[in-house]
Amino acid sequence: MFNLVLTVLFAVLLCGCGPMRADELSPSVDTLAFSAADGELLARDVARDRTKTTFARAHARELGEAVDHEAEKLNDAEPAAQVGNEKAEASALADEISTALGQLQASPGDEQAARKTQAQLSKLAERADRLAGTL
Amino acid sequence: MRTLFQVALGVIAAIGGFVDIGDIVFNAQAGATLRYAAIWAVPVGVLGIIVFAEMSGRVAAIAKKPNFVLVRERYGQRLSLLTLVTSLVLTVLTLAAELGGLGFILNYFFDVSTSFFIVVGLLLTVAAAILLPFEGIERLFGYAGLALLVYVAASLKLDPNWSELGRGLIPDAKSSAVYWYFVVGLMAAAFMPYEIYFYSSGGIEEGWTERDLTVNRLNSIVGFALGGVLAVGIMVASAQVLFPAGISSPETVGTVAMVAQVPYGEIGLVLALLGMLFAIGGATIDTAFSAGYNLAQHQGWKWGKRYKLSGEPRFSLALAAFALIGFAIASTGVDPVELTEYAVIFSVPVLPLTYLPVLIAGNDRAVMGPHVNGLLARALGWGYFALICVLAVAAPILFLATNGGS
Repeated sequence: MFNLVLTVLFAVLLCGCGPMRADELSPSVDTLAFSAADGELLARDVARDRTKTTFARAHARELGEAVDHEAEKLNDAEPAAQVGNEKAEASALADEISTALGQLQASPGDEQAARKTQAQLSKLAERADRLAGTL
Repeated sequence: MRTLFQVALGVIAAIGGFVDIGDIVFNAQAGATLRYAAIWAVPVGVLGIIVFAEMSGRVAAIAKKPNFVLVRERYGQRLSLLTLVTSLVLTVLTLAAELGGLGFILNYFFDVSTSFFIVVGLLLTVAAAILLPFEGIERLFGYAGLALLVYVAASLKLDPNWSELGRGLIPDAKSSAVYWYFVVGLMAAAFMPYEIYFYSSGGIEEGWTERDLTVNRLNSIVGFALGGVLAVGIMVASAQVLFPAGISSPETVGTVAMVAQVPYGEIGLVLALLGMLFAIGGATIDTAFSAGYNLAQHQGWKWGKRYKLSGEPRFSLALAAFALIGFAIASTGVDPVELTEYAVIFSVPVLPLTYLPVLIAGNDRAVMGPHVNGLLARALGWGYFALICVLAVAAPILFLATNGGS
């Protein structure tokens, strides 16, 4: 019985070690799209001076950390042949979204910079949505 | 006049105290993912918690028996121990999620570090629990939690689609697994077991007698119903702000706070954060006390804040230990939103064990005398118990099938 349990556990672990498939890449891309859209909403209110600086900085940081975590997962994973390009695109998106959120975190009181960040994040969210649609 | 005043105070406290991190997270996620489609689950859940809260308050007032005394009396040794262990695990997980949520919210105000503010949140709630009388705790956190009404105002200002909202009041049997996951989650968030542990023990802490049955009835009916309005406000406002923005799964408390910022700017954000701070702070105290009450009542110890914490060291030590375990879990850096989802969904299988003893005691004329459940309370009680049993089976299956509603 014990051996059977060990075998099943080993098989389950092995299943998780294969190349990254489309259905595994999809949640990561979704997180990137949500984080970019969330950041865009935040940047819009920073640009209009309708938020608290401490909130904007802390929230941009936590969104950036979520994106960095996805970037790490993407960089660690070996993609299946069918999703090689999509995985590379997702990694690039993660880097760009993280950079944009980093700008918001660094200067949450700069309304002009926030307008640019808002536009950037809007485009990045659209790109992430399009990528999610292909998976 | 005194009764009327007491009722008004209790109702206001119950409105603010109904919403905790589970309600905030699930209602915002349901609105962001499904817009108004699952709105009907809120009144169904609220009516259920009203039925059982009123019943448990009545049993506490007449029989002087809180929930876990009933568990000990009605179940055998093994089943009561199983109920105790599972309820403690889930209540402490909920406590950890509430503490983590407090850390995030305080950090939004001051931006130092979430870990630091988890410590501050713990210290503030411990200070409130020690320094304030029982009624004072309920009222402070309940009243200040009313700042969450900003979501109700926001949902009206954002001009929802009323006909679509009306359609959301009717269940859609043909909908997807994700839809049913949120329906179950919304009901489970309303039925969180600690609410009934705290409500029945609170009735005894406040010395309820037969004369307080009207207070109990009005507190549970009006308070929980209006608390449900807050929950609907969060869902509708999230549907108006997050769904069109493409944020179909808000994964931070900050995202939910931004929902009030969109229509009202900084003042909306501050009100939302303050409302969450006090609602979650109140729930932190409720969960810590519930864990302490459950263990003490199961073991037959003297329990309660009315004895002063130094007057019953075993209860006080248990309370401190549960608070520290919750703090240790929250300090690991676990995501409070994710922890809440697990705590809410996996509390559902424990619900039948929690609610059955209340129902049996409420139906027992030997215990309740003339205040035994009437026909309506009995029918609603058994109907909701059947629903809880269905939820208990469905919740973990839907959680796995939908990968947590994603």
